[in-house]
Amino acid sequence: MEHLLETLGRNMFGIFGLLALAGAAFMVAARSAVHSVLAFLFTMLCVAGCFLSLEAEFLGVAQILVYAGGIVVLFLFVVMLVEISKFKQKAKLEVFQTQSRVAIVAVLAGVAAFAGVFRNAIFGPTSPEALVLRPELARGLDVAKENAQAVSRGLFADYLLPFEILSVILLVALVGAVVLAKSERV
Amino acid sequence: MVSLNSVLLISFALFSIGVAGVLIRRNALVILMCVELMLNAANLNFIAFARHSGSASGQAFALLVMGFAAAEVAVGLALVVALYRRRDTVQVDDINLLKG
Repeated sequence: MEHLLETLGRNMFGIFGLLALAGAAFMVAARSAVHSVLAFLFTMLCVAGCFLSLEAEFLGVAQILVYAGGIVVLFLFVVMLVEISKFKQKAKLEVFQTQSRVAIVAVLAGVAAFAGVFRNAIFGPTSPEALVLRPELARGLDVAKENAQAVSRGLFADYLLPFEILSVILLVALVGAVVLAKSERV
Repeated sequence: MVSLNSVLLISFALFSIGVAGVLIRRNALVILMCVELMLNAANLNFIAFARHSGSASGQAFALLVMGFAAAEVAVGLALVVALYRRRDTVQVDDINLLKG
């Protein structure tokens, strides 16, 4: 039992990764949109597990909150708004469209190029610490134990401008979504 | 300890499934979900490289990508709802107004 748990703990990433792949495959293959959304939820939870096993605790929890809590619910709402019987019958004829084989070749070529360009980074040694902050940022903080604080210091020290731009993007998206989805004459 | 290559492999597989979904599915909702899946694979890559190099930048950027994905879903779903209102369909094959 002890041994089994230890093996499980060591292979946590692989387990979650393979489960995420299975969920993603089911999501693409499922005929009903509701099944797709549920498989999407499962995949997102497994990816959150991957994040946790890569020692990114804050992001793992944020992933669960944002995706399972927000985005999946939004998707379910729209599926229930949109999915009615007449549309289902039309969908039954052809679920898939097959057009492009060039895409697969392009993706494989892209992966090869990526591995070529970053081969030093990919095959180099892994850092022993999960997160290393510059000394002036890490003052008075146990970086290994307090992941959220460490990430926030890294984020707001170096990437304050992108963060602010993201907030503007979110505002624009909010207004855009309201304008797009509201009915014609109000 | 997870090796970087295994993470890259899994994130590549996730991304490929997302690309395949975008290319072969007809339902606009499923296509949106596949785009989300691709963004998640990119996030996984960010975090893998952050873990590999011990830098906080990767995790910071993953957080930004997550916010961006949320914005994208809001606009995408609004588009789907608007499309459904006007054309009574969410199948991308039926949207051929700009087709020559």
